[in-house]
This record gives sequence, structure tokens and C-alpha cells, in this order.
Amino acid sequence: MNRTSRLERGGTPPLSHAPSGEETSSIGARMRSRLEAYGFLSPAVLLVTLFFFIPVIIIFILILSDLKSANFGTLQWWLPVNWSLENYAKIFGNKFFPKILGNTFFYVAVTLTLFIFSSALLIAVLTTHINRRAGFFFRVLWLLPRLTPSVIYIMMWQRMASRAPHGILNQLLVPLGISTGGDLIQAAPWLFVIIANGMIGASFGMVIFTSAIEAIPKDFMMASKVDGASTWQTIRHVILPSIKWPILFVITYQTLSLLTSFEQIMLLTDGGPGLYKTEVWALTAYHRALSNYFGNNQWGYGSAWAVILVIIGVAAASIYMRVFKFDELVQEPKIDLL
Amino acid sequence: MTLKQKIGAAIPYVILVITVLPIVVGYFWLVLSSFSVSTEGLRSTGFTLSNWSFLREPPFGRGYPSIWRVTFNTFVVAISMTLTVVIVSSLAGYALSRLNFPGRKSFLSLTLLLHAFPSVTLLIGIYFVLRALGLYNTLLGVGMVMIGFELPFGIWLMKGFFDNVSWDMERAALIDGASRFRVWGEIILPTVKPGLAALAIFAFISGWNAWLIPRTFTIGAGQQATLSVFLNNFRSDTVAVQWGTVTAVGLFQLVPVAIFFIFTQDLLLSIYAGGAKGGT
Amino acid sequence: MKVKLENLSKRWGKVVGADCINLDIGDGEFVAFLGPSGCGKTTTLLMVAGIYKPTEGYIRFDDRVVNYLAPKDRNIGMVFQSYALYPHMTAFQNISYPLKLQKTPKEEMKKRAQKVADMMDIGHLMDRKPAQLSGGQQQRVALGRALIKEPQLLLFDEPLSNLDARLRLTMRAEIKRLQVDLGVTSVYVTHDQVEAMTMADRVAVMKEGKLQAYSPPDELYDQPRTLFVAGFVGSPPMNFLDVEVVRENGDYHARRKGFDAVVPSDRGEKAAGKGNVILGIRPENITIANVGVSGEIYVVEPLGRDDLITVHIGEASVHVLSDPTLGLRMGQTVTLGFNTHKVQFFDPQTEKSLLWMD
Ligand SMILES: Nc1ncnc2c1ncn2[C@@H]1O[C@H](COP(=O)(O)OP(=O)(O)OP(=O)(O)O)[C@@H](O)[C@H]1O
Ligand SMILES: [Mg+2]
Repeated sequence: MNRTSRLERGGTPPLSHAPSGEETSSIGARMRSRLEAYGFLSPAVLLVTLFFFIPVIIIFILILSDLKSANFGTLQWWLPVNWSLENYAKIFGNKFFPKILGNTFFYVAVTLTLFIFSSALLIAVLTTHINRRAGFFFRVLWLLPRLTPSVIYIMMWQRMASRAPHGILNQLLVPLGISTGGDLIQAAPWLFVIIANGMIGASFGMVIFTSAIEAIPKDFMMASKVDGASTWQTIRHVILPSIKWPILFVITYQTLSLLTSFEQIMLLTDGGPGLYKTEVWALTAYHRALSNYFGNNQWGYGSAWAVILVIIGVAAASIYMRVFKFDELVQEPKIDLL
Repeated sequence: MTLKQKIGAAIPYVILVITVLPIVVGYFWLVLSSFSVSTEGLRSTGFTLSNWSFLREPPFGRGYPSIWRVTFNTFVVAISMTLTVVIVSSLAGYALSRLNFPGRKSFLSLTLLLHAFPSVTLLIGIYFVLRALGLYNTLLGVGMVMIGFELPFGIWLMKGFFDNVSWDMERAALIDGASRFRVWGEIILPTVKPGLAALAIFAFISGWNAWLIPRTFTIGAGQQATLSVFLNNFRSDTVAVQWGTVTAVGLFQLVPVAIFFIFTQDLLLSIYAGGAKGGT
Repeated sequence: MKVKLENLSKRWGKVVGADCINLDIGDGEFVAFLGPSGCGKTTTLLMVAGIYKPTEGYIRFDDRVVNYLAPKDRNIGMVFQSYALYPHMTAFQNISYPLKLQKTPKEEMKKRAQKVADMMDIGHLMDRKPAQLSGGQQQRVALGRALIKEPQLLLFDEPLSNLDARLRLTMRAEIKRLQVDLGVTSVYVTHDQVEAMTMADRVAVMKEGKLQAYSPPDELYDQPRTLFVAGFVGSPPMNFLDVEVVRENGDYHARRKGFDAVVPSDRGEKAAGKGNVILGIRPENITIANVGVSGEIYVVEPLGRDDLITVHIGEASVHVLSDPTLGLRMGQTVTLGFNTHKVQFFDPQTEKSLLWMD
């Protein structure tokens, strides 16, 4: 539209006295500005629809069906006649179900307390109380596991634990008589699963705690030192109370991510050794549906496992938004589209 | 300083060194092994450069793609993922931060929800989406999934950056005669360069390192393989592993990321702390 | 170009930005919006610019309603308090950006940018980025960017408030001069009354979103229509005393405890018999005299050319401007003469002037 015509349109004769409350923008202009906004959003909306919404819907239908490699193409899984709750009967009837459930709780709880919380906090406190550059150096080292391709990272751990004479730990432990030289992952799989995952997870808490600690006004720390507080007292009475929210955030966020991620476990033990020794919930879902390990992809059954995590995920995510007042970060635009 | 004070000051270092030891030992072994005939614990049985010969010929035998082919795949995936994530996130982040339109609030809550949402739980559903689109077992499909997974973080990060851009500047540009799209591209984007850079680095690293998604949606070691998948195929329990070569290829993959990281650590650490919390 | 605001309002939910503003701006006129922080000056200006959409009412440019017109189609130039320069562009790129958007040929763009730059006296700074310019230079670049389109309406939002006092004086004169030379209709938002009074042809005083007064500066000063305007315009501010005006022996007396002044009958008659009214008088209209009202000096504040003294008269107190050479001291008793030809009267309930009514 050229400029004069737009001016003319703007010039439609107005009422001499505008009735109050009357909408003062033209429908055409509003349409145009909306299209503009949706234009900016459309690529994101497309991808989010393809890889979040549709998959969620698919999964929720799949849990009702018995779709697997064997009947793929013949079973009309999208038709309600083929729906049942059979999958859940199968899950709860599975004799390894208690084992997997227990594994999941054990893994999440132990990793969380030992690493995500304790180690992360310890490193954050220590590295902020020593020489700045040294502190930075240690934090960078701790970030390495997160930046390293997981395949390589896990490879390091496997080598660390492998049997004598190759294993690094065995080189030390065999002479001390603590180990007989066998593969240590076979001997203590949980130990390695938890350490390997924990060292990645710890860096998340470490970074957030560090920035929270550095944000504590220096006066606070000084005041407590002047008052004659010991380092431990400073930590207890000054640092911990002022990073209460970051701690809560890290714990909740990481609980969810431990609960649902399985990449490192899959690479390290793949749920073994033996039957379901370190198999966790998320890994079970993946194994059943997408891994050819059992020679049969049981998509329906696998989804039934996964959906429980999806529900936990949505619930947890909406709780964050409430608790951490994310919506307060949202400000109103200060330009009206005409 | 008294002896007691000296010991007190040394304690944090001692603890830090001990806790960080596994990492240091692990990476030391990685380097050692790539230059060794074989290793026993942290001892090399002999120095060799032959592990690095994969740079000239396919590392695991003639039947497999060359390292350059695989690196190229990885690079293409990482770069296109980076570009797309940056563009799509900054478009959407701009709209969410700056434009007023019906449904803005819902879009914002949705982004937040997805930001905290564990996307790996959706892999099964995505498998069917990719099959329906004919993108299963293609680099394009893998790339798109990874872009999708990275978006909630990217959008939220960029929205945070846009929130801090001066409104007057944008108003000035509108009065000067720019369209909203030009304002975005010519005025606003150049002022959020640190955000774009940070997002690009995050996206690149996650694209370069990705293993789970490529492994799930493409078939193993074919011409489509990316570095992680490729490498993992030679790290099995069943056949004797050529540790020297595997570690050399691993280092080959790790080095670009490490270099990237060393140069941008300051930026990344601060964004990471802020971005993880949901915006700067 | 003439500008007319008709019943213009802007609300965000319960927050009121501008409330039913009616205002006419003549072609080539320089109008200042004056008011305390948060009174809706910027809001009104941004509606004129097309950045904010009015909740109610109309904006007319030369009788044409422009409510629906996008900012870029309004042919306006705007200068912001924060300068709002594009940090990644040089001064030249900043100034010529509006022309670039109009797809002006390179050569012409250069010529016009140069012309504007010379006018602003920043020709030698064209290659610098905003960060390498001083506040005053940045503001000139911003001004240049607003002028280059040869707009029909110039909008200023507190353009000088980030500059130091000296520079403010210079720029004030320059902007005024430029506006007269170019003859562009201009709206100038400020909370600095000296700026408003010295630069504008007419001043619109705003408070809490409402237009309080709209008149030429001298009229605003001498004939304030409301208590708010009387108190807001003028520095040091006008004195207010609760009085009762009575007629005795043909004279009008304004009285309160310890205070009695004869006021001219043209003013007095409008306030007489109304019970308690508010008398307003400016500090410069009170002098130290031999006869009059006596009071005690509470404090003396030297302002340089004058002393500002606060005098207690019974329970009331007034500010007086006096000659420093008198050597007045705290605690001293003085007699004050009131130049009652300049007194104002206001109704305490409506806060409207009893003397000047439309
Ligand atoms: N985008 C907005 N959303 C909500 N309220 C707003 C917005 N812009 C302004 N307001 C409110 O409208 C009122 C008027 O604001 P405005 O910015 O117009 O004041 P102002 O006169 O320019 O003040 P100042 O001299 O401080 O710049 C204020 O109460 C302000 O809080
Ligand atoms: Mg303002």
C-alpha cells in the first residue's frame, strides 16, 4: 500500500465527539500487527509443535496401544477400538518393576545429596574463598565433564575402572590389596554410575551457587568476620541463608533432570551388569521403545513408561513457574502496535 | 602468618585438589593413551604416533567412513543447528519480549514450561514424527530435533537480553521509518551480540557433542554418522578395543570444544548462571 | 502543520497515563509540556508519535485523524532524553538512518547528512560511534537524526536533562533558534519550568494525566488558573496564605491572625464574602518595608543575587526575596510590604482561581 492511500484511510472522517471507550485503531492495522508478531514466532512455533506437542499427543495415544515392530503397519494404533490399559497392567505386573522403581529412587536421591547439593556447594564455597584465579581455575576443571562429549567422558570412567593391568584404579588398589584386579564397574556399578553422573551434575549447582555467593554483599561477610565468626559460622549464618533460593532451585531442577536423563548410564552400564542392576525408569522406557537390544521395539509399552515421566515433568515445570515466580520476569511491551 | 593459619589457608586447596583428581587423571590418561601403544594404569607401554594416523585413512578399517566425512557431518549438524537456533530463538525471543499480541502471555508461559521440561522423555513420540516426515535416519531430521530441544533455552535467553534493550532506541527507529522486522535486524540484534554469541556457543557445543539423538534417529556408523556415534561404535565390550585410536579420535573431537570454551569461559559462566535461572 | 488532541486518554488497566487531554497546536508553534514526574507528559508525546495507541480520543494533524497511522508515516522527528542513538552505528550512520530507510540515493544522503551535521556543528565527528561522543555531542547527533527527514513535527522528550547546567543553557538557546529558523511545529516535554517558560510559545501544564493550564508563559505566570499551576510555576514558588477578604470603608482587606493587607478592589471584590480563601503572592512581590505586616525571620538562604528569607507571620510563613546588602539575620523582626496588585485568590475547595476564569 502506498503512502498516500494510507493517509487517506487514516483520514476517514471521525466523529466530532468520540464516544468514550471506542476502539481507536482500525481493524486492518490490528490484523497487520498481529501477523507481524506471529511472523516472528512462526519458526519457533513450527519446531515446538513438531517436537513437543505432537510427540506428547502421540505418546499419550501410544500408551493405550500395543504397537511394536512386530505389528507395525498392521495395527491401527490411533483407533480407540485398539486401546486398552494393558500396558500398565504389564508394567505393574513386571517382576522387575519394584527393582527399577527402587533403582530410580536410589540413584536420584544419592546423586542429589552427594554431588548436586553437597559437592556443588562445597566447591562453590571453597572456590570463592581462595585466590580468585585459583578459584576460577578449579571451577573450569569442574566444568570439563559437562563440556566433554559424553562418549569420551564415559570412556574415561570405564578405563578408570577396568581390570588390571589396564585399569587406572586397579593400578593403585591391587598393590594395596583392596581389589583383586577385576573390573570395578562389575564389582560396584552404582558407585561409578553415581560418581560419573554426579560430577557432571555438580557443575550446574556449582555455577549457580558461585554466582549467588558472589552476589552476597561483601559487607555482610566482613561484618561477620569482624564479629569474630569462624569460617564455618560465616558459612552457616551468612552464606547458606542468603542462597536459600538458588539451593532450592538447583535441587528441584536437578531432581527432574536426574529422573529423566539416562544417557550416561546407558553408555556406562546400559542398566547392567546382569539383569536390571542399574536400570532406571527413563532407561527402561528407552530400552523398550527405541533400543534394538531386545530385538523388538515395543513403542506402546515403552511410552507407557515414559508418560509417567512426562507427567512428572509437566507438573514439576509448572511448580517451578509458581515457586520461582518466573512470571514476574515478564514485563509489558512499551510500544503499542497500531 | 603462623603455622596454624598457613595450614588453615591450605585446607581449601587440599580439598579442591582431591575432589578434582578424578577429572585430572581421566584427561591425563586420555592424552597419554592417544600417544601410546597401550597403557597400563597411568603407565604407557611405548610412545607412538600411529594412533593419529586416522587423520590420513579411515581409522577403523576400509569399510568405514573417513574421519573427515564424519567430522564434516558433525560440523554441518553443529553449525546449521547453531545458526538456526540463534535465528529462530532471537526472532521468537524478540516477539515475546517486545511485541504485544493476543496470546503473548500463554506463549511466554509455554516457553517457560518447555524450558524446565525434560525433552528426552519425548523421544518415542519424536520417532514417529520423524518417520511421518520421512526424516528418520537423516542428518536433517537429527538436526531439527536438536534445534527443537535447544529452542526453549534459546528463546528464554534471548528474551532476557531483549528485555534489557532500551525502549527509546526502538521507538526512535520506528519513528525513523523502520519496520518491526528491520528494527529487529538492524537495531536490536546488534545490541545483543553477547547474547547471540553465548547462545551460539551453547548451541554449537551441544550440537558437536550430541550422541543420544543422533544415535536414536540415525543408523550407527554409516555415512551419516556424527563423531560421537561413530566413536561409540568402537568402544564396545565384545571386540578388542583399539584404545589408542579411540582416545585419539576422542581427543580430536574434544579439542575444538575445549578451545572454544577456554576463549569464552567468562561469558559462558555468567550466562550459564543467569540463563539457567531463566533469563538474565 | 497543526496538531490537535481531542479527549485524548491513555490507560493501562487502572493506571492512568493521560486523561482526556484537549489541546490545539498552531502551525510552527513551539509548545512545552510541563509537569512533575509521572504526570503523563511522555505518554502524551508518545501517543502523538504513534508509539502508544490512545485508549480514547483522537489526534489530528492538520484536521486529519492520524490515530491509525504508523509512526513512520507521520513524518515526525523525535529526540529522547536518553538520546536513543544506535550504539553500533557511527554518527553519520545514525543521522542518515531515516534516509537509508527511505531508500534515498547515496549521494543525496551524504549531502543532506552533511548539511544537518554542519547545522549542528558536528561535521567533524561523523565517523565516531556514540560511545566516543560526549553527552552534548550525542544530543546533537540525535537532533540531527530527528531533523534530517525534514519533519513537519518535532517532538522532544526532556532532551536536555542529562546535560550539565552550562551546556543546557547553550543547547536551550540553540534548539529555540533552530525551531524558529525552520518554523517546524514542536512539542517539548520538560519538568524544568525555566526551559518551558523561556522556550515555548505556549505551555501546557499537566498533573496526574490531566491538562491543568494551557497558555503563553507570561499569562501562566501572572494569571494562573489553578492553585496547582500557581504553585508549580515560578521559583521560588508562590506563597499561599489562608485569609478572609472583607470590605471595610470601601477598601478590601485580606485578613488572618497577625496579617492584614489592603488589596486592589478589582481583585478584592472577587474574593470578598466567600469565607476562607487562599491568597497567593510571589516572593518577589514581597519587600522589606517600613510599614506593613511584621514577622520574624526564621532562616536566611543566600541565592547569590538575592537572599531567600523565610519569615514567620503568626502561624503562617512566607518566602521573601530580599537584597543581601540589608544584612538580615535569623531571629530579627522585619516589616513586610505586599505588592497587592499582584495577589491571586483561590477557592480552597475547587482550587480554582477566583480571579481568572475561562
Ligand atoms: N508502558 C506503560 N505501562 C504502564 N504504565 C505506564 C506506562 N508508561 C507510563 N506509565 C504510567 O503512566 C504515568 C505517566 O507516565 P509518563 O512516563 O507519561 O510520565 P512523565 O510525565 O513523562 O514523567 P517523567 O517526567 O518522570 O518522565 C505514570 O504513572 C507511569 O507509571
Ligand atoms: Mg517522561
